[in-house]
Parts: sequence; C-alpha cells; structure tokens
Amino acid sequence: MIKFIAANKWFKNSHVLKNINLEIAKGEVIVICGPSGAGKSTLLRTINKLEPIDDGEIIVDGMYISDPRTDLTALRAEIGMVFQHFNLYPHKTAIKNITLAPRKVRGLSRKKAEERALKLLEKVGLDHRQDSFPVQLSGGEQQRVAIARSLAMEPKIMLFDEPTSALDPELINEVLDVMTSLAREGMTMVVVTHEIGFAQKVADRVVFMNDGEIIEIGSPPDIFVNPQHERTKEFMSSVFHIPIFSESQEEE
Amino acid sequence: MIDLLGQFDNIRFYLLGPYPKGDIGGLALNIILTILAISFSFIFGALLGYSRLSCRRYIKLPCMAYIEIVRATPLIMIIFWMYFFLPYLVGGHATIISSAVVSLSIYAAAYQAEIVRAGILAVPRGQLEAALSTGMSRYGAMRHIILPQAFRIMIPSFVSFFVSLFKDTATVFIIGVIELTQAGIIISQRDPDKMYAAYLSMAIGFWCICFTMSHLARRLEKRVGVFDLESIRPDACRDEFMLLPKQKKTGEGIEESTACAPEKPV
Repeated sequence: MIKFIAANKWFKNSHVLKNINLEIAKGEVIVICGPSGAGKSTLLRTINKLEPIDDGEIIVDGMYISDPRTDLTALRAEIGMVFQHFNLYPHKTAIKNITLAPRKVRGLSRKKAEERALKLLEKVGLDHRQDSFPVQLSGGEQQRVAIARSLAMEPKIMLFDEPTSALDPELINEVLDVMTSLAREGMTMVVVTHEIGFAQKVADRVVFMNDGEIIEIGSPPDIFVNPQHERTKEFMSSVFHIPIFSESQEEE
Repeated sequence: MIDLLGQFDNIRFYLLGPYPKGDIGGLALNIILTILAISFSFIFGALLGYSRLSCRRYIKLPCMAYIEIVRATPLIMIIFWMYFFLPYLVGGHATIISSAVVSLSIYAAAYQAEIVRAGILAVPRGQLEAALSTGMSRYGAMRHIILPQAFRIMIPSFVSFFVSLFKDTATVFIIGVIELTQAGIIISQRDPDKMYAAYLSMAIGFWCICFTMSHLARRLEKRVGVFDLESIRPDACRDEFMLLPKQKKTGEGIEESTACAPEKPV
C-alpha cells in the first residue's frame, strides 16, 4: 500500500530523513515512535506530500509521489490525515467541516454528503453536536470531528500525527477508542503517537525512529519489551520510567 | 449658535454642492469618491497583497516596491501627480473627478494590500494543510478555508481604513473638486463673519458619516465573528491589559498601585 524506497529529505543543512526503506501492507496498523525531532511527523507528512522528499521514491497505492505527473489532489483524497492540533475550520460547524471536501472534491450533492457526515458523526459518538462550532467543542470532541472529516473522503489510508498530544488526559481515551475501532475495521493506518498502551493493543508493527533514521521495526513486544538497539532501550526505559521490563508486561 | 443654525439655509450646498444646476458635489461627492476609491482599490489592493505573498521574486518585488513607495508618499503628492499626469496618460480628457478617484485608489490600494497580506498570514498554517490533506486544490483551500477566515480577521482594519479614507477625500479640494470641504470654503467666503460656523458644519458632516460607518462595522463584526468567541468581541474591555493601578478594594490593591507607579527620574 505504501512503499518508501531510499527516501531522503533535507531541511536546509539538516538531514531529517535518512535513507528510509519501509513497506506498509494494506490493512496494517503502523505506530511510529521515537524522541522528539526524530523525523516522525516529517515521515508521516511525506506520505501525502505535505512535505516533498528530496531523493528516493514513495509509492502510495500505485502512485509515485515524486512524479510531477501524479495528481496530488487524487493522491491526497485517498489519504486521510489527523493533526495534533485538530485544525478544524473554525468558521464552519461540525457538519460543514465534514461535508466540505466530499462536496468540493468528490462532487457529492449536499444531501448525500450530509447523510454520510451524520453516519460518521454517529460513529465517533457526536451526532448530537453536528451544528456546533469547533470553539464550542472540547478538545476530544474536536479531534473526533477531525477524524470524521478525514473519513468522509473514504480514504484508503489514515495518517495520525500525534492525535492525542494536545488533549487533556481524560479526553485521550475517547479519541483512542475511535482509532481502535477504525483499526479493527481493517483501515491501513500510520500513527505517530506516544500512547504505548494503544500501540501494544492495536499496532501490527512499531517503527522506532531516531535522528531521521529508522532504527528498529518490529512487533510491539519486540520494540517495547525486547528492544535490540541501544538507543531504543534507552528511549523505552525513559518512557516507562523503569529500567527493566517485568515478565507480566510481556505476556500482555 | 445662531450662526450655526443659519447654515441650514446652505444645507443643500453642503450636501449636494452645485447640483442640480451643476455637477454633484458636497458631502454626496465625498461619499461617491469613497465608494469608488474603495471599490477600485479593494480589487487592486487584494491582488497586490496576495501577489506580495508570492515566493517568485518577479511577482513579489514590484508589489513590494509599489506598496512601499505609495505608503511613504503624502496623499496630496499623489493627488497632484495624477492631476498633472493623468491628462497626459489618457490624452487630455481627464476630469478633475477622475484624477481624484484615481489618486485616492492608488493611495488606498497600497494600504489595503497590507491589510490583505496581514489577514492571510494571520490564518494558521494548519488550516491550509488540513484543507490540502482532504484533497482540496490550492484554489479551493484558499477560497473556502483561508480567505473566509482572513476576511473576518481583516474587518476591523478595513473599517478603520475606510473611515480614514473617507476623511482623506477632503484633501481633493486642493484640485478644485467641490466636495464638502470645498463647498464649506465657498460658503464661508460668501460671508466671512460666519467662517467658524461653516467649518463647524463641515466637521459635523464628516462626523455623522464616520460615526455611522464605525457603528455599522461593529455590528458586522459581531455578526460574522461568531466562530471565535474567545477573541473577537468588539465591546470587550480588558482591565488586565491596562497599565494603570487597579482600584483599591482590598489590601492587595495597594501593592498593585505601587508596582505600577512610574519610576522616578534619577
């Protein structure tokens, strides 16, 4: 579904993505973790070309990202993206936020788009808030609307860029629940997150990045419990605040 | 006072100038000039401000040059230039009114360009990314997401600029346009004893329109500003922004007042 072939990216003089090779299959849930500044978000944003790569190639659903003939609009329509700061359109109500792209890009009628939007709002548990403006919603509700907005385009791939990092702790779960159910439905997902619990429960593979490089790829227990690489061990012990992992955690 | 009331005899001249015997003038002409200048400069200014944001130097630099030159020139210079140049440009058929409209538009466009640019830049970058990531084109994102938000941000600046442009239309009396100022001057010269009354009448005329404009704008701001309940509240007052000592209600207030006291010169 997504294939990185020796992808490289520079910001001015800093080499932010170093020779990335990664293949993501259809229906797979990938969690990317790593320290801040590791290039996690950048990697995610290259998939829908919000950040262009300077070298190498990324193939998304048969489309070559760096080919100038690739229709960016069509590419992005197949890829939903959820941001850390929600980025809902503040001047539009929840339902208008959701219907805008399907109407303008897919050319759906207003009625059809609204039907679809209501179904999605119901799915994220917010059908009663359809006429609220973003400022009237809590952070968790805004993020769920944002997820519904991406899903309204019926994407094949969903990208999540630290979707719970800007939320109050008690609002995190409502967003993670929506993401979990999405994963269960077989959506291809690439998630940058620090929610280790979510990763253990949902992820098929975890990618650990540091300093623009992919250090380790493996199943959640491999990365979280038995990291091979020194840098991964260091990171995991600082995340869990304990140096060694107990056996009971491994069984989970 | 009686002198001022006496000006009522001239009210038609204040409001309409020599019309219907001659061309329309007076306060009506100020309003017409403002509307024309705003319309032309809005289109031109929006294009300038938008192009000024371009990364391409051959688009950006000319726009910057225009804006910086016009903003650093007194309006009255532009009015004189257009008064003398415009007839050359169009082959001698330029009326003083058209010179006035052109110069006011040139002047206003530079300011509107800056307002437009600031408004577009004030929309968070994430908005554009969100729109693009749903598959919208750059044009669609601009039209449905960025510009509607930018426009709301621009409203207060636009209004204060429109009000000031309306007052600036008084300047074109210098090339003989019989707008409110010129009309007042003509009346005052008929009866030099009542000069102050004539000038006071002009001031009242300008004030009425400016006040109405600001008032309408405040209502518009309230109506379209709904999306941001936090920041856009035209009636809001914020004591915490004030650098004055707080009112002394409790013991704390006294400390506050000393904290804010101006430093003594050493």
